[in-house]
Amino acid sequence: MAWRDARKNYKRLLLFAASMISGIAAVVAIDALNQSLQGDLNRNARELLGADLVANSSKTFTAEQINIFDSTKLEGTNAAEMASMATFENANQSRLVRLNAFGEGYPYYGEVVTRPERVWPKLEEGGYALVDESLAIQFEVSSGDTIKIGNTRFQVAGHVRQFPGGSGILQTFTPSVYIGYKDLDSTGLVQFGSRITFRRFMITKSDNQTALVEKSLGPVLKKSGVNLETVEERKKNLGRAFASVYRFFTLLAFVALMLGCIGVASSVAIYAREKRAEVALLRCLGASGWQAFKIYFIQILVVGSVASLVGALLGLSIQQFVPIVFGDFIPGQVSFEISWLSALKGFLAGILVCILFSALPLLEVRFVPPLSVLRSEESPVKKFSKAKWLIIFLMFLFPSGVASWLTGKISNGIFFTAGMAGALVALWLTAEALLWLVKKYFPINAPFTVRHALSGLFRPNNQTRLLMITLGLGTFIIATLNIVQNSLLSQVEFQGSSNQSNAIMFDIQSGQRKGVGELVSESKFPINQEVPIVTCRLTELRGQSVEKWKQDTTSGIPEWALMREYRVTYRDSLSGSEALLSGKLQQFKPGKPDSVSVTISEGFQETLKAKIGDTLVFDVQGMPVKTVISGIRKVDWPKDPPNFIFVFPSGLLEQAPQIWVISTHLEEGTPSAVFQQKLVTFFPNVSLIDLSLILKTVNSIFEKVGLVVRFLALFSMITGLVVLAGTVVNSRYARQKENILLRTLGAGSRQLTAITLIEYIWLGTFAALTGMVLALSAGFLLCFFFFEVSFSVNLLELWWTYFGVTALTVVIGWLNARGLLHLPPLEVLRREY
Amino acid sequence: MNHPVLSVVGLTKKYQSIGHELTVLDGVSFQVIPGETLSVVGPSGSGKTTLLGLCAGLDTPTAGDVVLGGKRINELSEDDRARLRNEMTGFIFQNFQLLPTLTALENVLVPAELRGEKNIKTRAEELLKRVGLADRTDHYPSQLSGGEQQRVAVARAFMTRPSLLFADEPTGNLDDQTATQITELLFEMNREYGTTLILVTHNLELASKTGRILEMKGGKLMADRAN
Repeated sequence: MAWRDARKNYKRLLLFAASMISGIAAVVAIDALNQSLQGDLNRNARELLGADLVANSSKTFTAEQINIFDSTKLEGTNAAEMASMATFENANQSRLVRLNAFGEGYPYYGEVVTRPERVWPKLEEGGYALVDESLAIQFEVSSGDTIKIGNTRFQVAGHVRQFPGGSGILQTFTPSVYIGYKDLDSTGLVQFGSRITFRRFMITKSDNQTALVEKSLGPVLKKSGVNLETVEERKKNLGRAFASVYRFFTLLAFVALMLGCIGVASSVAIYAREKRAEVALLRCLGASGWQAFKIYFIQILVVGSVASLVGALLGLSIQQFVPIVFGDFIPGQVSFEISWLSALKGFLAGILVCILFSALPLLEVRFVPPLSVLRSEESPVKKFSKAKWLIIFLMFLFPSGVASWLTGKISNGIFFTAGMAGALVALWLTAEALLWLVKKYFPINAPFTVRHALSGLFRPNNQTRLLMITLGLGTFIIATLNIVQNSLLSQVEFQGSSNQSNAIMFDIQSGQRKGVGELVSESKFPINQEVPIVTCRLTELRGQSVEKWKQDTTSGIPEWALMREYRVTYRDSLSGSEALLSGKLQQFKPGKPDSVSVTISEGFQETLKAKIGDTLVFDVQGMPVKTVISGIRKVDWPKDPPNFIFVFPSGLLEQAPQIWVISTHLEEGTPSAVFQQKLVTFFPNVSLIDLSLILKTVNSIFEKVGLVVRFLALFSMITGLVVLAGTVVNSRYARQKENILLRTLGAGSRQLTAITLIEYIWLGTFAALTGMVLALSAGFLLCFFFFEVSFSVNLLELWWTYFGVTALTVVIGWLNARGLLHLPPLEVLRREY
Repeated sequence: MNHPVLSVVGLTKKYQSIGHELTVLDGVSFQVIPGETLSVVGPSGSGKTTLLGLCAGLDTPTAGDVVLGGKRINELSEDDRARLRNEMTGFIFQNFQLLPTLTALENVLVPAELRGEKNIKTRAEELLKRVGLADRTDHYPSQLSGGEQQRVAVARAFMTRPSLLFADEPTGNLDDQTATQITELLFEMNREYGTTLILVTHNLELASKTGRILEMKGGKLMADRAN
């Protein structure tokens, strides 16, 4: 009976299957990807570090430290990493790059993949450089070209295509140039104030030896400012980074599965409602409630099992594509192993979804009274049963269970479920509010077609709310992303304001200050800021040493804030991007060393839990300087950089070793390129940060993140459109009846077409509005509380989102309904509806 | 003599069934003059409803002609036939055929709105008052009884002051008492508006209220007599 009945309903069952397939495919794809990533991480951990041990320091290694390294008798090699300007002489252009200098033998594990192949060892010969592929493409650099770094010209030996442990997203920010370590000195870039990380890579004979070295030397080296990292630590760090990526993907899979569940529940609910008359007849003929239930449950279970299998196989195929699309977010290389375990888990999850989410609407079937054969409006004899309560309980348990399984933590599972439920409730409330407004302010004077199409939203079985929620969720995700992206980007945009700095030159030595200033003026660019920078560290806070603060676990002050190197400036006034929030400006009375007061930026004052009157002791190049916080500044960080956490008064640090920063506004075009060229030629150690380049980079990162988020939105939209197609099919007879009747009463084809199209435009509009209203609220809250930036909306982008959602809704609705427009009106006299 | 409002000449309708041809209407001819009331009677399957549908331009004949309001409707496109129906005819159906998403008042307004007429609300309210539903204008069909729904359908049928009213078993779904009320209302309003009425029914008592009766059997017109 189940099979015989299903033959005529395959279209409706297909829609149910589509919901299942999309949800299961997402879960399997993400789980399989995770399995591959975990496996790769374990297998290739050594390659990620390139050695067994690495020592990191922000200064050149001292003789004492080198002695310690030597005492281990471990084979090792040196490396250094820093920011530097590089001039690509073939293109006659310069840009800021990450300069990596490696000694002989690196990497001990893994391989640097280059083009041409195996040119990495050439760096040891000296005079050669390799560049990241992105740089090679940007400046059309090929083997044999020359690039100038600092004082030295290097011949390009090739491109680096793959670097052990390299992560794509970082290279987007600052692509690398690689040179031999012994060439580093010749560049002249290692000077006072230069921010360089020095490294020593070492290999051990066994894991035991690694542990022994780390245990015996780690603490000693740490005291002298050297941090020792092992493969295990790198793995842990990468694991943490990977966990965030994985959590994000998991959220994506979870949302897709839940949307699939909504699709299943709604399509089965409509299916069961349609079957009422049939069930009533079967009951008249002697079928029991459970027999009727089984007929439809078997259909759903068979179709659900096939759909789960298809979904699992589709998920495995998607897994093959995920690393291609989202490779930049995944640390290291990912293999393409097929995870049959993930497929099996997905298949079983599918069966569970099918049983749980179809059982509830199907259970109703048991209580259809046989009297419905005579009176269709007869209500079920019983509304609640034990089985129904059990299913409802399991349905609530299911999302938490799946999320806990996906994230491996019950608390995460509950958090995910609560978040999802919160979003759906918010969407449902928004949808309700919109529909209430439509009813209250119904456009009674609008043309008939517009009004009639609008009232179609309230047609029985039209699932308007469900469509507004599912399509609205997709819109919400896309629109929120747009709003946040726009708000963040508007913070770093420099358009229109010709006075604001868009380029910063740093690492200017005191002796170079005058020359750089003259070069800027000669090139007819303004000098917006010319500020000294002094590096120092915090040694005491409120009379207690930072070491003691570190040990105090209740202070709430992060360790990094206590241990970091501060780059401070000195002046007696506020800069254009600052305002005094409270207290007084920094000041110093010459001759009174205890009278030094400094000001602190608003955000950092919270980090250090400091207030006006608190004392701080700084170690300025070996000299302790006692200060008092006299005021708190509000700093508009992106505006007119550089900006500072601490500002000292004039008259105190002038004699301390310092470097200078000059900021200017460069006009785009040739003068800017010529100026940068001269800067690199005459002052090779001075680096220039092109802020517009950063803007472009931030934008490109957003585009990549956006791709992932839009992928999530796409799942939501697909579910919404599947529900929409199902709704149109299920309300087909109601629509058909309406169209025929209107035709009989004299409606022309144009009027019927207009009514159908306008109805879907309304539906798309309200679904998009549901998502957008919520996105605007969420975007505002995110900007205000989380990102702490001003709220900015790009109306054009929102308009395109609205247009896209509405157009999709109209297309899907129209494709499903177009056959209903051309039926002969005589049907109205013959059909019993 | 008045020009006929409807002329039917040799009307034939055949359907292709599996393996054979089914003739449901076979060479039917008759004329209807303005103001006439006419009923089409006959057993189930005699072709009554098919005849009504073809007369109203709801379907196309296999052979023969229908001239409605001086226009040969076979030669008109579907949209032109829809326009002609809207201008000339009104309909009352056995199963009421109201739009469930519209209120009683909005249902009555539909034919005039399809025409693009303005300021029609008062006329629709008057019609609802005339059929005894002045206090039910804002009710949806699901909130009305069968008799009330058919009253709304009667009001809708007269909304455009049609020359010709087609009624297909208008009391078929109603109890006796309500059926009597609806019949009286239909004939009263028909007189008031001077409309030509073509009524399809197998209820001979209802048919006896019309001035002329056409008897159908096996797709053929067996008798055409004055009442």
